[in-house]
Amino acid sequence: MAWNRLTPAGRVLAVLLPVLAIGGALTTALLVAFGGAIAATIGANLPIVRFLVASVVTFLISVPVAFLLIYMEMKIIALMNLRIGPDRIGPAGAVMSVVHGLKVLMKEDYTPPSVDVPVFTLAPVVVYLASFMTLLVIPFAPELTSMGFELGLLYFFAIGGLSVVGLMMAGWSSFNKYSLLGGIRAAAQAISYEIPLTLSVVGIVILTGTLSLPKIVAAQDGSFLDWFIFRQPLAAIIFFIAITAEANRTPFDNAEADQEIVAGFATEYSGMRFGFFFFAEYVNVFIVSALFSAVFLGGSNPPIHIDLNPQILIDLSALGIGLPLIAGIAPVLGTLLFAAPIWFASSRIKGWQALVAGFLIFGGVSTAAVGIWAFVMLPPVASLIWFLIKTFALVFTFVWMRGTLPRARIDQLMGFAWKWLLPASLLNIFATAFAVLIAGR
Amino acid sequence: MRPSLDDPRVAIPAESTWYEPAPTPQTERQAEFLSLREGEMFVNMGPQHPSTHGVLRVIIKVNGEKVVDLDPVLGYLHRGVEKLCENADYHQAICYTDPLEYVSSLFCEAAPVAAFEKLMDVDVPRRAQYIRVLTMELNRIASHTLFQGWMALDLGGITPILWAFIERDEIVDMLAALTGQKLLYNYYRIGGVNGDLNHEFMSRLGTWMSRAAAQIDSNLALINENEIFVRRTRGLGVLDAKTALKMGVTGPNLRASGVPFDLRRDRPYLVYPELEFDVPTRDEGDSLARYLVRMDEIKQSIRIIDQVLHEMPDGPVMAKLPRLLRPRPGRAFGAVEGPRGVYGTYAISDGTDQPFRMRIHDPSFVHLQLVGPLTKGNLIADTMAVMASLDPVMGGVDK
Repeated sequence: MAWNRLTPAGRVLAVLLPVLAIGGALTTALLVAFGGAIAATIGANLPIVRFLVASVVTFLISVPVAFLLIYMEMKIIALMNLRIGPDRIGPAGAVMSVVHGLKVLMKEDYTPPSVDVPVFTLAPVVVYLASFMTLLVIPFAPELTSMGFELGLLYFFAIGGLSVVGLMMAGWSSFNKYSLLGGIRAAAQAISYEIPLTLSVVGIVILTGTLSLPKIVAAQDGSFLDWFIFRQPLAAIIFFIAITAEANRTPFDNAEADQEIVAGFATEYSGMRFGFFFFAEYVNVFIVSALFSAVFLGGSNPPIHIDLNPQILIDLSALGIGLPLIAGIAPVLGTLLFAAPIWFASSRIKGWQALVAGFLIFGGVSTAAVGIWAFVMLPPVASLIWFLIKTFALVFTFVWMRGTLPRARIDQLMGFAWKWLLPASLLNIFATAFAVLIAGR
Repeated sequence: MRPSLDDPRVAIPAESTWYEPAPTPQTERQAEFLSLREGEMFVNMGPQHPSTHGVLRVIIKVNGEKVVDLDPVLGYLHRGVEKLCENADYHQAICYTDPLEYVSSLFCEAAPVAAFEKLMDVDVPRRAQYIRVLTMELNRIASHTLFQGWMALDLGGITPILWAFIERDEIVDMLAALTGQKLLYNYYRIGGVNGDLNHEFMSRLGTWMSRAAAQIDSNLALINENEIFVRRTRGLGVLDAKTALKMGVTGPNLRASGVPFDLRRDRPYLVYPELEFDVPTRDEGDSLARYLVRMDEIKQSIRIIDQVLHEMPDGPVMAKLPRLLRPRPGRAFGAVEGPRGVYGTYAISDGTDQPFRMRIHDPSFVHLQLVGPLTKGNLIADTMAVMASLDPVMGGVDK
C-alpha cells in the first residue's frame, strides 16, 4: 500500500472505510446477540437515549440545512445582482454548496505560527456546537420536537449566547488585529442585542404563561389572527431586528465586515475550521428564522384551519395479499400508461425512451399524490410543511436584506440597541402586563 | 515522521524575530505618529486589503474602534511614467499616460495631448473636438457609475456595484468598438483622434442613450434614499471650502464643498463653451455631498452627450501634421476636467522630438492627503466611507 502517495482525503478514506465495515459488522453481530438486553437497557433509560438520538439527528440535519441555505443565498443574491449565480454543478448549480463543503474539507488546514493553538482549535467547535444545539428545541411540528422541554426558550437564549464565546476565542487566539477587532465587535454586538431579544418575548411569556416552545406554538392555534405577530407587533419588530444582529447578518454583520476588518474573527482560519464558522453562520440563520416562525408566526399551525374531514384513510393491513400485488403491479401499469401516449405521439421516439419518460412521469405523479395525501391525512407532515414554509420565507427575507442593505456602523448599531430597542421592549412588557392585569389572559 | 509546516514549533525559528523592529523616526511628524499612548494600537490596512482601491497602504492608529491617526503609504504602483514619457517621442508619450487612472484613461491622455497641441500650435478639427467631448463624457459616466458601486460596496452593500458594472460595461464595450481597447484606449492623437466614429459604436450608443437616464435613475434608487447609507455618510468627513482650496482639491470633491469651479466652464477647452450644462454643487462638504455631486454630474454628462450627438459636424478627424513632430523650444500646460478633478500635464520642449520634461498632475494624489485629516476622530468603518467618497485611483497617485 503506497501510503505516502495517497492524498490526505485518500488517507482518510483508507482508514475510514475498513473501520466502517468492521464497525458495521460488529454492530450487527452485537445486535443479533444482545438485542433483547439492549432493548431493555434503552427502555430503562429512555430520556438519555432520547437526548442522544435527538442530538445526533439535529447534528445530521444541520449540515444539509446549511448546504441548502448557502445555495439559496448564492442563487437569490445572484438574481438580485442581475447575475446567474452557480449553474454548473448539478441542476441549476444545486450541488454547488456541497462541493464548497468538500472543498473546505480538502483544503490545507493551516495553523499560523504564534496563535494560541488550543483556543484557536476549539473556537470553531464551540461556535458550531452552540448553533446546532439550539436546533434541539425547535418545534418543527407538535410531534416532531427533539426536546420539547419546559424552559425551551430560556435554553435557546442561553445556548445561543454561547456562540459569542467562540467568536471571542477565535478573535483573541488568532494573534491578528483584524480578528481581535472582529471578536470584540461580535461580543459587544451580541451582548447588546441579547437584552432586547430576551425582553421582547417576555410579553409572550406573560400571555402564554410558559417558556416551552411547543406550548407557545399551541397557544397560537386557530386562525392567523391568533399569531403573536398580530397580538405583539412591537415585540415582533424588536425580535426580528435583534435576531438579525444575533445571527451576524447584514446590516449588522460588523463582526465580519470584509471592507473594514477583512474577515473579522475568521481572518486566520482556513480549511474546515473556517468551514465550521461558515456553516454555523447559515445554521444560525435557519435557527433564528425557525424561532421567529415558532414564536410569532404560529409555528406549525396553518393560517386557517379548514376541516376537510377526509375519509380517504387507507387501511393497508386490510388489503392483505393485495398490498404486494399493488406495490408490484402499480409501477409497471403506471409506467406503461404514461409511456404509451409519448410513444404514440412521435415515431422518432424510441420505445425505451418513452418508457424512461413514462417512468419518470409516473414517479413524479405518484410522489405528488403521496405528498398531497400525507399533507391532508397526516397532521405531522402538514405541520412540518407549514413550519418550513414560514421558516424559509424568513430565510428569504434575511437573504433579501443581505442583497439590499449596506452595513450599519458599530456605534449606530449599539446606540440603536440601547436607545431604541431596549426602551421599546420594556414598554412592550409593561403594556402587555397592564393589559393582562385589566383584561386577564 | 516528517515535520509538517503546520507545526508551529517548526515554523517559528525564535519567538522574538516575529516582531518587526520599530523604524527609527525621521521627522517630527513620524515620531509623533509612531508613539503609542495607552490603549492605542496600529492596524495596517493594505497594500492588499478589500477596500483600499488598488494598492494603497494605510497605517491606522486606533484606540478601540476610534481612529486616532492615519498615515497613507504610497508608491506600491510607481512605474515612473513621467520619465518613461521623457524617453519617448510625442506620439509615444501619450500611450504611457493611459494607465495612470485606469478607470478614466481618456482624461489621462487628453491632458498631455492638450499640452502638446499648445506646444505645437495645432488646430484640432471641429469634428475631432466633438468626438473628444463625446468620448470623454462617456468615460466620465463610466467612472462615476463605478464610483457609485464602490461607494456602496465600501459601506457593505453588495448589489449596487453589480448594477453599476452593467452600465459601465456597456460604455466600455462601445468605446472598445470605437478605439479597439476596453480599458487603455490610446485614442487621442496630437491634432485629432485615431479614427472616425464607426457604425457599431454609434448603434450601441444610440441603444444605450435611449435607456441610460432611466437605468441610471434606477441604479441610484437602489442606494440614494437608503437610511443606513445616508446616516453613515451625512456629516462624515466634512471638508470646508477654505481648506479644500488650500489643499488644492479640484473636481467633484471641491464642488461638494460649495466652490463652483469647473474647468469645462471656467477655463473652456475643446467645444465646451458651445454646449449647455450645469455645474452641480453642494454646500455640505461631507461624504454624502461628494457622492451626490457625482451622481448629478452623470445627468449633466448625458445632457452633454445628447447635445454633441445633435450638433456633431462633418469633416476630418485629424489635422494635417508631419510624421516627426519637433516643436519649438518652449513650455505648455494642458488641463482637462476629469471625473476626479483636474488632470494636468506640464510639458517642456527643447526642440527635439522628445519632451524634455513632462510633469503630470493627478487629482487623486491631492485628494488622498485629505484622508488623514478627514478621518481623524471617526471610526475604522468611516475611513472606508471617506476614502471611497474621495474616489482616489492608485494608478494615478503613484504614477
